[in-house]
Amino acid sequence: MAALPRRIIKETQRLMQEPVPGISAVPSETNARYFHVIVTGPEDSPFEGGLFKLELFLPEDYPMSAPKVRFITKIYHPNIDRLGRICLDILKDKWSPALQIRTVLLSIQALLSAPNPDDPLANDVAELWKVNESEAIRNAKEWTRRYAMDN
Amino acid sequence: MADDASSSSSYAGNLGDNSINQDELIMKQQREIEKEISESIPLVGDLEPLSSLEQEYTEDPVYLLKVKDLFSKYKYIRRTRPDGNCFFRAFSYAYLEYLLTDKTEYEKFYEIAKTSKDTLVALGFSQFTVEDFYETFMEVLQRVGEESGGTLEALEAARAELHDKFNKQGHSDYIVVYLRLITSGQLQTQQEFYQNFIEGSRTVTEFCRQEVEPMYKESDHIHIIALSNALNVGVRVKYMDRGEGSQVIAHDFPEGKTPLVHLLYRPGHYDILYT
Repeated sequence: MAALPRRIIKETQRLMQEPVPGISAVPSETNARYFHVIVTGPEDSPFEGGLFKLELFLPEDYPMSAPKVRFITKIYHPNIDRLGRICLDILKDKWSPALQIRTVLLSIQALLSAPNPDDPLANDVAELWKVNESEAIRNAKEWTRRYAMDN
Repeated sequence: MADDASSSSSYAGNLGDNSINQDELIMKQQREIEKEISESIPLVGDLEPLSSLEQEYTEDPVYLLKVKDLFSKYKYIRRTRPDGNCFFRAFSYAYLEYLLTDKTEYEKFYEIAKTSKDTLVALGFSQFTVEDFYETFMEVLQRVGEESGGTLEALEAARAELHDKFNKQGHSDYIVVYLRLITSGQLQTQQEFYQNFIEGSRTVTEFCRQEVEPMYKESDHIHIIALSNALNVGVRVKYMDRGEGSQVIAHDFPEGKTPLVHLLYRPGHYDILYT
């Protein structure tokens, strides 16, 4: 495997030294491009109290292309599908090399605080979120209790 | 990490997910084909006589006439990889190559380049990421400065070194990123002016996030105007398309400034021209 680019080393060090509040991102011992991520469900969101596991992978041409991120813990959210894939512009066509892992993690945290059913990835969830928000939020809380609390 | 293909197969029975996956798979496949074609072409090629363009169009009278017109002003062409970054790559290569022969211009440009990072950080770009691109750019620029105005032999070696750097993806892409950021910085600093060039309802900042800062996004007039103004470097673009007439129309950016960089534009792509 090719040597790790300076940029990745630099970002990893900073993530360890000054972690994003509410988020832990730790590189795998066997692959420095693969991060185990845990996001704490933001306060006053239906995800509050939950701990959500994600995986984050830095592709070969990072930072020219975006990190690949996926929720491992099941989550009821209009912008996250059942495979854990996240609908977030900076992970796709708005990625810029001037952004960093930190920016991505903060954006995911913000997405948990502010679900956006108008730009859905999980259509059934988004639909319910629009027509019956209180039921959707009940579901999200229930999923949080069921899947994100007992680890 | 599970890749797209393996994770999609595990949910193949679900129609909803399947439709998303189909689109994604098609897009992915298309990107891969484009990537393959593009990677067979060097990031920046060798100097070629302009006649190599003629050979491309032996059965195309419209373009042949226009190549003839180009012959009246240019002798050589240097091709760049058509990866959406070609304007930035062609521009920086051609300008740095020029700076090897003009020490006075180099000194002026060095001052502009040196302060460029502060402008970006003031605009809210993260110092932490921007400094890497800045440092690579300055490193390449300073090497040009050291050799600028040297003997013919030394210049030959300096050109080879520059060519080598521009064909190393790491160096070359870092320079492209930095020029993209400078372009975005210029657009955002002069928002009121540039807003007029943006179609639709996007703000200048949105435009920068979508069309300027990401890699592989193609450049339009607005990118060229912004970059040439930000760096105060004259660029002449010869536009070769199927338009009427036998002449290849030239545009100078910024208007009225003596061009030091000459580019050939064919729909979707920029190469470097030499007199």
